[in-house]
Amino acid sequence: MDQLSPSSLAVYLAMLVLLAPFGSFLLSALSGKKMKSGWPATIAIILSLIASVILFFSVWNKEDVHQGFTWFTIGQHRFELGVWLNNLTVLMLLLVCLIALPVHIYSAVYMKGDEGIHRYWLFLSLFCFAMLGLVMASSLLTMYIGWELVGFSSYLLIGFWYTRDAAVRANKKAFLINRIGDLGFLIGIALLYGQFGTLDLNALFGADGLIGQASIDSQWWRYGNHSLPVMWLSIAGLAFFLGAMAKSAQFPFHIWLPDAMEGPTSVSSLIHAATMVAAGVFMLVRVSPLFSSEVLLIIACIGAFTAFMAASIALTQNDIKKTLAFSTVSQLGFMMAAIGIGQFGVAIFHLVTHAFFKCLLFLSAGAVIHEMHHLKTAHGLDIDPQDIQNMGGLRKYMPKTFFLTIIGAISLAGLPLTAGYLSKDAILIYAFEWAEIRSSVALLIPLTLLLSSALTAFYIARLVFKVFYGKLRLNGTSVDYHPHEAPKGMWYPMAFLACASFFFCYSYNPLVFEEAWPLNGFPRIEQMERMNIYHTVIPALVNSIAILGVFIAWRWYAQQKYPLSARGGLYRFSFAQWHLDHVYSKLIVKPLLFLSDLLYGFDRRVVDGFVDLWSGITRRLSVLAAWLDQYVVDAFINRIAQLAFVMGGVFRGSRQGKVQHYLLGMFLIFFIVMLLGLKFL
Amino acid sequence: MNLALVLFYLLAITAVGSALLIVLLQNLVRSLFLFFVTLFAIAGLYIFALADFVAITQVIVYVGGVLVLMLFAFMLSNRTLLSDVKQGLKSVFAFPKWQATLIATGFFAVLIYIMQLIFAQDPEWIAQAKLQHQLIGVNDNTVRYIGVNMMSLYVLPFEVISIFLMMALMGAAHLARKEEPLS
Amino acid sequence: MIPLSHFLTVSAILFSIGLYAVLSKKNAILVLVGVELMINAAALNLVAFGRYDGKQYEGQIFALFVIVLAAAAVAVALAIILSVYNHYKSINPDDINNLKD
Repeated sequence: MDQLSPSSLAVYLAMLVLLAPFGSFLLSALSGKKMKSGWPATIAIILSLIASVILFFSVWNKEDVHQGFTWFTIGQHRFELGVWLNNLTVLMLLLVCLIALPVHIYSAVYMKGDEGIHRYWLFLSLFCFAMLGLVMASSLLTMYIGWELVGFSSYLLIGFWYTRDAAVRANKKAFLINRIGDLGFLIGIALLYGQFGTLDLNALFGADGLIGQASIDSQWWRYGNHSLPVMWLSIAGLAFFLGAMAKSAQFPFHIWLPDAMEGPTSVSSLIHAATMVAAGVFMLVRVSPLFSSEVLLIIACIGAFTAFMAASIALTQNDIKKTLAFSTVSQLGFMMAAIGIGQFGVAIFHLVTHAFFKCLLFLSAGAVIHEMHHLKTAHGLDIDPQDIQNMGGLRKYMPKTFFLTIIGAISLAGLPLTAGYLSKDAILIYAFEWAEIRSSVALLIPLTLLLSSALTAFYIARLVFKVFYGKLRLNGTSVDYHPHEAPKGMWYPMAFLACASFFFCYSYNPLVFEEAWPLNGFPRIEQMERMNIYHTVIPALVNSIAILGVFIAWRWYAQQKYPLSARGGLYRFSFAQWHLDHVYSKLIVKPLLFLSDLLYGFDRRVVDGFVDLWSGITRRLSVLAAWLDQYVVDAFINRIAQLAFVMGGVFRGSRQGKVQHYLLGMFLIFFIVMLLGLKFL
Repeated sequence: MNLALVLFYLLAITAVGSALLIVLLQNLVRSLFLFFVTLFAIAGLYIFALADFVAITQVIVYVGGVLVLMLFAFMLSNRTLLSDVKQGLKSVFAFPKWQATLIATGFFAVLIYIMQLIFAQDPEWIAQAKLQHQLIGVNDNTVRYIGVNMMSLYVLPFEVISIFLMMALMGAAHLARKEEPLS
Repeated sequence: MIPLSHFLTVSAILFSIGLYAVLSKKNAILVLVGVELMINAAALNLVAFGRYDGKQYEGQIFALFVIVLAAAAVAVALAIILSVYNHYKSINPDDINNLKD
């Protein structure tokens, strides 16, 4: 093994990580309907996991690995295909594999008996391949390819049960909004390529990146002999952020994520909680040297606003998965806010912890839904298995699920001893520090984040209490229902994820986040003194508010002492998701449909009418030509023939058969000849 | 204006007049009998051309043979033939057809014109004959000369024409036979 | 004696009359008469020119032959006319038009 240098070993491992799911994808594609079991896909993921663990330990906080080859050239421009393994890459690779493996095992049980299961494994493998490819891409072009593929496999998986109209509408919506973001991403790529002439990530954003070498003054953004007005720097940044906004479901492009819950729950847990939506955050961190301070401010504002908005909507939702979807949006808002305040490492840290506990929450929601569905089919009930109003008291029947859900919930709420506590407090503390050194208006952002985390604690507690406490609301009739515990294949993966939601995976110190090892992989940006008042006040404040929220939720939902009216204005506003879907429908969808109808009518009446007009004219002209041909040209010929016929008839008529006529003719001719001879004629 | 010329004109007028009457009259029988007159007149004209033998032959063969034959054939044939011929006699004179008249007068004009053109003066051979006094004299024995020439110079046509006559007669006899009824 | 031109004139007149008879008569026998007239006119012509042929008497001998031929022609023609009449029941040349188009 001595001829294999460490870097080429790393490259081979990276290839294994990437190509194992691809191999499973090809196998599924070729097997078609015969791929019922998930074993090939799961084995592929296990291989990827092993390879990524080895990679992690060989690259984390060591030298970057960058390897590639020229894929194609257009004229003078070379485009590379390759891998770039730095801290961020290997951390993300590990995360993706660690989340994907439990989900694969869980899916095998959850999706058992579904008739489209071969498609499920196909798309799942495709997704894993695409996500891993996106993460380890070495150039913006290949990252974009992975980005698109991830969006595409998300589309396929959301619309997995394609016979349902809601699923089809949801996946269309998801794809369209993703496309808008992709446009932004592409514009950003184009701007960077135009300015710097390369798309290589290391070259652009690495330690001595070209971005940093470009000079920016008040008027021009200069690099080499390219220069653009400085406004374009911000525009490039915003373009990339647009891509991330759509992918990571920030306001106003978040509307696809709640609808994406039409897909199977295991898909939601993998894609829409942990990995795909995190791709946006990942991309922003990759591109981070590009952002100017105005762009960062915009990112922070949007992130904070999204966090608040989504949390407020999640307060009133009755569908388990929608609540969790909005929770995801809210937490992504937190991550975006972290990026906005310049703390990229913290954002990634929150991404990692969030992936684990959100995935766990989704999987447990899936277990509950699975049980409710069993009850529905077994007893022929007409209920929505995802509606929490039908649930209650499930902790008696599903204790393991209950216990694991509690762990996920407290991690989400950010209570101490969990991983969520570490990452969320990191964001809040840094936010307050950031606001401190700016104007007082900047304080809005941390305050919004604070409020959002309070709401987070409340809504997740509400969810837990409504689902697991009280009495099973289905038991209104005389029949007693007995839901069963989730099978082993389901709660083993959940248990694993629950372990990863505790502090000990990340830091020896449960209360101080600075010692979390993921943060060591990223450049640390300190804006104030290390130990200042914020580091103590904020955690205390946040946690007390969280506990208060949990208590209120307990009183309202577990003890059924709900004082507010369910028909209040704010309630309805929140329940209707701030009427955003309605606004979009009125503002954008209807005008677009109207415009398309208009264009269709135009095309049909004017364009086609024009063509039809000409065809009508041609047809009439051809009728005329046919008439002319028949009655004029043919008639002409026919008349000539008739003339010949008539003349012939005339001459024929002269042959009466009368001898004396013949004699007359003969003598006449003779006479004429004589005259000719006499030269009279 | 000597007697010969007067007689000649007389005979000529007879011939032409009777010929005209032949064609102008409707009645077939009268036309045939007028043909008699014409033939006799022509024989007279022959005599004035110093061809007495030909004149007599004309009388014997034509008048006595041909014309009699025509009369007999006409009169001794079917009654229906007679009656058919007699029908359609509306007027005494047959009106002349204009096309035939035209052609006939045209021919006549042309012939006269040619005659005028060529025979205004004597043709060469006639002039030579006149010089060498080889004309047929008035007192010549034409019979003798015709006989001698017929047997020496023209013996072949003479023989041939006799065979020809026989052929014609046989043919005529065959043609005129009665059709045998088909059994 | 009598100038040649006189004979030729008479001959021409007779010939034209005969021609007229051939072309216009509606009776086959009269057509035959017309033919005979034409032949006679030709014979007259021959004889008129024969006056100047004292050596060989060609004109007159030819006229003799003409007369013979004319007689033969008449005989055959009459036989034909009879036969035609037996078939067509008419001796109007206009009625014998089976060869018409």
